[in-house]
Amino acid sequence: MAIDKEISEKRKRQCAKLVDISKDIVRQAFDRFKPEELGTTWTGGKDSTLTLWVTRHVCQEKGIPLPKAMIIGEGDEFEEIEEFVEKIKKEWDVSLEICRNDDVLKAANHTLNAPVKVKDLNERNRAELKRIGFDGEGFPFEAESQVGNHLMKTVVFNEFLERNNIKGIIQGLRWDEHPARFNDEYFEHKEMAHLVPEHTRIRPILHFTEKDLWDTYAAFNIPYCVLYEQGYRSLGAKTTTLKDSDIPAWEQDLENTEERGGRRQDKEKAMERMRKLGYM
Amino acid sequence: MKNVILLTIDTLRKDVLGCYGGESFTPFIDSIQDNCIRFNKAYSPGPYTQAAFPGILTSSYYLEYGRQKMLSERRVLISEVVKKGGIATAGFHSNPYISTYFGWNRGWDVFYDSMEEEVNDKVPYIKADVLNKKVHDWLKSCQDKPFFLWVHYMDVHEPYVPEWKYIEIVDPSIQIDEEEMFRLFRDVVLKRDVSDKEVVELLKKLYCAHVREIDDGVKEFFGILEKDNLLKESVIIITSDHGDEFGEHGGLSHDGKMYSELVNVPLFIYEPSREKTEVCDILVSGLDVPPTIVYLFGLDSVDAFEGHPLIPLEDYPTRGAFGEAVDKHGSREKGEEKEVHYYLEGDLKIIYCETDDSWELYDLKADPKEVNNIIEISSVAETMKQKVRRRVRRYQA
Repeated sequence: MAIDKEISEKRKRQCAKLVDISKDIVRQAFDRFKPEELGTTWTGGKDSTLTLWVTRHVCQEKGIPLPKAMIIGEGDEFEEIEEFVEKIKKEWDVSLEICRNDDVLKAANHTLNAPVKVKDLNERNRAELKRIGFDGEGFPFEAESQVGNHLMKTVVFNEFLERNNIKGIIQGLRWDEHPARFNDEYFEHKEMAHLVPEHTRIRPILHFTEKDLWDTYAAFNIPYCVLYEQGYRSLGAKTTTLKDSDIPAWEQDLENTEERGGRRQDKEKAMERMRKLGYM
Repeated sequence: MKNVILLTIDTLRKDVLGCYGGESFTPFIDSIQDNCIRFNKAYSPGPYTQAAFPGILTSSYYLEYGRQKMLSERRVLISEVVKKGGIATAGFHSNPYISTYFGWNRGWDVFYDSMEEEVNDKVPYIKADVLNKKVHDWLKSCQDKPFFLWVHYMDVHEPYVPEWKYIEIVDPSIQIDEEEMFRLFRDVVLKRDVSDKEVVELLKKLYCAHVREIDDGVKEFFGILEKDNLLKESVIIITSDHGDEFGEHGGLSHDGKMYSELVNVPLFIYEPSREKTEVCDILVSGLDVPPTIVYLFGLDSVDAFEGHPLIPLEDYPTRGAFGEAVDKHGSREKGEEKEVHYYLEGDLKIIYCETDDSWELYDLKADPKEVNNIIEISSVAETMKQKVRRRVRRYQA
């Protein structure tokens, strides 16, 4: 499928410049780390797919395969994303590791919203809960809730790095995704900490705005998941991602509306803070 | 004025500042008083963050548009006004009630609410020194252009687990560890249990240690401005959204009560060119903050703003101050929570509590601690009641 959008030659050139900056960041990553020390995170979403596309171009330049990619299996995926990931994995020859927190999934009986008892979890998961200061006896199995999110995503991410000896991990973050991000850098070094291996986070597409991103997809015919055509702007877990609109993502008012307005996790985060501050 | 900065400190009582006559836990804030206009009778329009901030940032009353949790589209944020005036705007804080999720990010070029960060139970917010670093990074990017900066510190807010070095300053005889401090938060503060006076006194000391701590944070902030040559080009408004109770009226923390320890707040305007303190006894409100910022930037006044610019002082009208909130802890009925209101005129303050349909009237000059309720005997009781009655349930949602 192709994005039904007119991209002028001038705009194409602008997008090409943005892509060049990203490619340069990826090249720098290959200067700093050996290919086998690099990894990339991928969700099948628009940001990480663009990042993977850029990384693939640089790899083709160098005649080397793509670094190992990890995708987090939350147990609550859209089928459309799964299909898209399968398709691209084959087309781009991605060495993909699907990472799951099987221990949590087992404790929740693979059932959404099921209660998970902390005592049923393994040592690593229990240590992680302690690290974030969670002292409850249980929590509901929802990937978009803060505690669930931490175990399903953060723990799995750190384990992937450890298992594969990854020193540099490429991520698809952008500055304009969230106001808190404005200070983020292309290369961010993370010191070794309890349960966290030392690593550097590499973000080649930080400078892309949401509009830049879609124009680049259109200009270079980059594949994307069909859900974006149906009105989704941001894709998370299936049951908690809401659709704000029915028109394709690139046709929505990107500058004046919230990209992540449909994520229940924002509400949960605010409520969790209120609880800690003594309000509930 | 080139730059305007609004510095708000959550939960900061007036009486813990030396310059307001209290025991001083704020040596730095006290030291800048020569450059300040200091307001003795500044009143917050609400006794907790959610009720106070519509006043401080939109110059409107908390219950004006019903009880929506989200910031009503009809309110105008000071950030939007300033941004339209072509000035850069940025806000930095870590309070969930005024976060992006509730719509408070409108009009800010940069809005950091910290909701994406993980915080621990004992210090469930971003501390001043960390916030100051982020602010400093943003200031570097301003490149000589005029800006409006808002920073809100949470360091005085419960659970009251301050760093050791600050507890030592307040009372070196205190022997208590972090676990015990956190236990007191859970077992005493959250339960509003004032039965043990010694414990309440201890809690107040822990609170004061936090106040001493935030004074260092403010000092660091001013240091950053000075280092970047911005201090001499900035007017800084410093205030708090509400105070905190330590048993003065049978309770703790802050919820639906309207007594002075909660609503009579510190308010200063720091002016770089000023050389001597000006102390002001005019009754002013948190609602006056946005119009003051508009005035400082020389922008057109905003119709939607209900407050009045604080300066020039001689132009400020003599008028009363209102405050309103939802009675969060006092409500005994299931379902809808009732309203609480206050009205202050001259030295007289009336409070209405819808939960038990009760009225209180205090003469703040004769009875600053608000212990002697003169509602039954005062000749002005009826006039004062009428002013408040009009406001109760005025918005039928």
